[in-house]
Amino acid sequence: MSTLSGKNLVKKYGKDTVLKNVSVDIETGKIYGLIGRNGAGKTTLLSLLTAQNPATEGEITLDGQPVWENEEALSHICYSREISPLTIFGPNTTKVKAYLATAKAFYKNWDQAYADELVKLFNINVKKRINKLSKGMLSAVTIIVALASKAEITILDEPVAGLDVVAREQFYKLIIDEYAATGRTFIISTHIIEEAANLFERVIMVDDGKIVLQENTEELLSRAYRVSGDSAAVDSAVSGFKSYNPENLGNHKAVTVLANEPVDSFGESVQVEPVQLQNLFYAMCVDTRKEA
Amino acid sequence: MLENLGEDKSIYLQIGEMIEDEILRDILKEEDQVPSTTELSKYYKINPATAAKGINLLVDRDILYKKRGIGMFVQSGAKDKIKKARRDNFYESYVKSIISEATLIGISKAELKQMLDKDDKQKLL
Repeated sequence: MSTLSGKNLVKKYGKDTVLKNVSVDIETGKIYGLIGRNGAGKTTLLSLLTAQNPATEGEITLDGQPVWENEEALSHICYSREISPLTIFGPNTTKVKAYLATAKAFYKNWDQAYADELVKLFNINVKKRINKLSKGMLSAVTIIVALASKAEITILDEPVAGLDVVAREQFYKLIIDEYAATGRTFIISTHIIEEAANLFERVIMVDDGKIVLQENTEELLSRAYRVSGDSAAVDSAVSGFKSYNPENLGNHKAVTVLANEPVDSFGESVQVEPVQLQNLFYAMCVDTRKEA
Repeated sequence: MLENLGEDKSIYLQIGEMIEDEILRDILKEEDQVPSTTELSKYYKINPATAAKGINLLVDRDILYKKRGIGMFVQSGAKDKIKKARRDNFYESYVKSIISEATLIGISKAELKQMLDKDDKQKLL
C-alpha cells in the first residue's frame, strides 16, 4: 500500500495562479474521480502529481519519497495524457504502433498481450499515423496505454472525451474488470459525471484552483439534499445549513444543501430529495463564478 | 434485477433490495449462488466496493452467507426473514404515503377501506 500525496501545492504561470495551495492524498486500491470545470486546474494538478510539470511551491511524495526526477517512484505511476494530433513541429505523424512501443519501453510492468487485446477491442489500426486518428480513436489509444501500463497508480485525463456510447460503456467495464482483478488505483478525470459517478469510490472536486472537497462519494451524497417547497418554509428549513444554487419558481423555492452529516428530517413542510453527484457539482460550482 | 438503478436512495441499499426482491420472487432460491461483486459492479457500472457493501448488508442480516473461495449464497430461511422485515416496514414505506396522499385530496378513511374491499381479484387474503 502506498500513498501519493501532494502538500500545499501552488502552481503559477506568470502572474496566473492556477493551483492555490492544494493538498491531496491518493491512497492505493481505490478508484478516484476528479471533477471540475474547464480551467479549474485538474490537468495541472495531475501533471504536478506525476512530475511532468514542476510545482511552484509544495511537495509531492510517493510513500514519503519526493517524486520529482525520481525514476523509481515514477515507474509506479502512469499518466496517460491526451495525445495531440499536432506537435510544435507540425502534424504528429508517429504511427500508433511506434507510440505503443515507446510506452512499452517506458513502463516496466507493460502487458503487451493486454495491449494487443485492447487494440482489437477498440478496433485501432496500429499502422495509422496519430494525426490521422479521430478524436475517439485518440482517446482509445490513451486508454490502451493507461491500462496496459499496469502501473499501480494510473491516471486518465478525460479518457472518454470523444468516445461514442459503446466505447464508453466498454471503457467503464474494462476499468471495473481491471480494478477487480488487480486492485490498481485509478484517477479518472471526466466531464461526463453522470455516467461515471457510481464508479468512483472517492471524488475530488476542484474549482478555481482549489480542492473544494475530497471524500468518499457515497458519504458525500448521503449528506447532500435538494430541499424544495414554499419559499419561506424552505428558507427556515435550511437555515443554519450550507446551501447552494437557490432556484425560484413563483412561490416555490429549491436549494441544494450540503450538511456536515446526514440529516434525519428538514420538517414536514418541505420536500427533500437526494442529490446526484453531477447536480451537487453543478450547484457548488455555479455559485462560485459569475454566470456567463 | 432491475435494468437501471434509481436515484432516490444509496446504490448499495438498492443492490441489497434488488437481491431481496429476487429472493421474494423465487428467482433466487435458498442455497442459490448470487451474482458476484464484480458481476454486479460491471452490470450496473458501480464501484465494486459499493456492490460489496450491498451484499454485506445482507450477510449481516443473515440473508446471504459466504462460502469461502466460491461466493455468496442465499441462506435457508432468507425469504421469511425478508418478508418479516418488509412487513415491519410496510406501514412506514407504503401505508403512510397512501394516507398522506389521501389526506391531501380529501379521501376519507371509509372510502379508503372501500377501495381495499374492491380488490375483486381477491389477491389480498
